[in-house]
Amino acid sequence: MKRLSRLISPLLIAALVLGSLPAVAATSQNELVGTAEALDARTLKDDRQRIHDVLAREDVQRQLALQGVDADEVESRLAALSDAEVSEMAERLDQMPAGASVVGALFAAFVILLVTDILGLTDVYPFTR
Amino acid sequence: MHHLLRQRRDARFAGVFALLVLMVSLGGCATTPSLSAEAARSLPDRVFVEDVPFHGQREYQCGPASLAMALAASGVDVAVDDLIPQVFLPGRQGSVQPEMLATVRRHGRIPFRLEGGFAGLLAELDAGRPVVVMQNLSLPWWPEWHYALAIGYDRPAEQIILHSGMTPQRRTGFARFEATWARSQRWGFSALTPGKMPQHVDPDAALRAISNFSEVQGPVAALPAWQALVERHPEQAMAHFALGNARYANGHVEAAIDAFREATDRNPGMGEAWLNLGLLLQAQGRDAAAQKALEKAADTSGPWQQRARQELKQRQKQRST
Repeated sequence: MKRLSRLISPLLIAALVLGSLPAVAATSQNELVGTAEALDARTLKDDRQRIHDVLAREDVQRQLALQGVDADEVESRLAALSDAEVSEMAERLDQMPAGASVVGALFAAFVILLVTDILGLTDVYPFTR
Repeated sequence: MHHLLRQRRDARFAGVFALLVLMVSLGGCATTPSLSAEAARSLPDRVFVEDVPFHGQREYQCGPASLAMALAASGVDVAVDDLIPQVFLPGRQGSVQPEMLATVRRHGRIPFRLEGGFAGLLAELDAGRPVVVMQNLSLPWWPEWHYALAIGYDRPAEQIILHSGMTPQRRTGFARFEATWARSQRWGFSALTPGKMPQHVDPDAALRAISNFSEVQGPVAALPAWQALVERHPEQAMAHFALGNARYANGHVEAAIDAFREATDRNPGMGEAWLNLGLLLQAQGRDAAAQKALEKAADTSGPWQQRARQELKQRQKQRST
């Protein structure tokens, strides 16, 4: 991953710099400042952050595929995520709580959860109420 | 024999010790969440959001099922089977929070994160809008993460009403619900039609929520949401600015000019609003006004100052030729 980043980063920097040049040079009429752009500027999102966003998106794309998401769904799922959500997922998808409601319980856990259920701290076994 | 007995006693000690640690770490007992005096007075005793269809979950599919119900409640008819490939992560056998929000966007609704904790949840239900909540039904050590749809409450009985798992209108005690919900930092969201606003919303969070929606569904779909935000928070210059952009993208140039002007009235130091105002006035051929707005933008320090100065220079060049 690190090696890959090192390889991709310079390319990305070059691409982004080149990409932003024509916009500055041409200043085409009526190119308004966009809302997302203004919000990003307010949170001081700089070029480094933008590169990070692009890398994070690639990372999440790969992770979604690895987690068994259909190839033709990966793109649309990625497109619906905001930059902040993407970078959160890139950083900690493994530890992120995934709502599923299945407890991988050992016997000890069963006993403790039974007690905590009766105490009203948990809600695992419906028959405790 | 002796040896064995001692071992057994040790095991018993270990068990007692473990239970003690457990009790201490849980920090007491489940307590009923208390409402502020004002919330207690303003909220009705019982609320039930009518006509929210129930979708039972099959194994692991509480995410898609809760989404289907929340979307149906806001008028989007989508089957659980269609949502599964959009939000379910087979490798994790579950659905993660960011993708729950993202999927709402894909279906033309805006996901607003719930604010205000327990009182905020009751207020949102009182406004007739169900809320998807994330619970850890088990303990932090063996988490059992679960999404359910809150559809009502009963304060005299101290119960919250959930469409949850395989059970429609399941009643759970306030204290038990609060204990399981607190483990997700009281995470929840409502899926709203653009133009509807949640009861409690921080203006910055709303700006982000609508902007994220606009990136996915485009400015035409987002326009009513910006309008609603401006009505709710007329003091927010950024909301007027966003409304200006949305109106412009919808082809309403004069209305966009009004919104940008409103933004500069609310915050005269907002360079990007002066810049957009100037550019639109220029395109409309209102030269004097455009000149004034662009000068303001060029005088305001910030990321847009450079751009504004260039625009002014170009105008000068055009005038001299």
